[in-house]
Amino acid sequence: MRKAKLLKVFLTIIIITLATFPIIMSNVSWPTFTRDYLFVNALNETGASNTVSSIYLGYRLMDTLGETLVLFVAITGTMSILLNLHKHELESVKTQSTLVPEKRVKNALRTNLVEVVASKLGPIILLFGLYVMLFGHISPGGGFQGGVIFASAIVFLVLATDVKTKITNSHVLERIEAISFISLILITTYVIFFPEGFFSTIDIGSSFLSAGIIILLNIIIGIKVGTSIAVMIIAMMGGKHDN
Amino acid sequence: MNILLLSLILCLSIFSLIAKDLLHAVIALSAISILSALLFTFLKAPDVAITEAAVGTGVSTIIYVWAIRHTKRKDGDK
Repeated sequence: MRKAKLLKVFLTIIIITLATFPIIMSNVSWPTFTRDYLFVNALNETGASNTVSSIYLGYRLMDTLGETLVLFVAITGTMSILLNLHKHELESVKTQSTLVPEKRVKNALRTNLVEVVASKLGPIILLFGLYVMLFGHISPGGGFQGGVIFASAIVFLVLATDVKTKITNSHVLERIEAISFISLILITTYVIFFPEGFFSTIDIGSSFLSAGIIILLNIIIGIKVGTSIAVMIIAMMGGKHDN
Repeated sequence: MNILLLSLILCLSIFSLIAKDLLHAVIALSAISILSALLFTFLKAPDVAITEAAVGTGVSTIIYVWAIRHTKRKDGDK
């Protein structure tokens, strides 16, 4: 037993050493061609002063579409498992935190602390998520990050408030997700019909709108990621949160 | 500073591997995410830092806690 454990540790150390040895010991310098090209041309060609967003929404937009598809497939699989799970556990729904207090058997997840803190913080985090989403071409951030912050704000609102609004209704969120995904696919595939592609941005000079299509894509990706993650977590916390 | 952060991350990951209470392990994982976000900020990658902070600390912790709530909390003795 002890010998086997020692052998495992030894093998792990050897594998890690073999994996990192070429990186540490290599004399070949890192390739800098792409970095220099982007440093000179990225701002002029795409209009986004954040080079990261000019790469993943300009030069490599098709990869971003594939990444969004991966997230979509993951959410679909999780939702199918979760909905079948809750079909068999109908009696446990009464203790879920997404119900109003009169229908709940006991306050399973919701305490006074959660209600006070999360209900005050929720709208502020919602605003911050929108800020990260909208300013993704200027400052660090972007659609995906803003969408995840947006989703956690929606989760805060679901956990903490009894007020039923459209933003915590999972039916509405699912429809918003579907519409934004369809429009993302349409906008991404229109590049086939235009030779200049996404670099045909509106020339407003140094205005904050100079990124053109990147702002639109940031907003759409943010809404899609935020609503899909929010729908998944609402389903985890106890079925549909509908009116 | 980077060495300090990396050694803290190493200690927390070893703790989350050997912890018997799985909830403690999840809290240690989210602390690892915060420290990695700080490290990415020092290494001038703020985009990655925002992603790490939002996904690692927010969403994945919620999913882990949900999974622990629906299974057993304590790690079984062998």
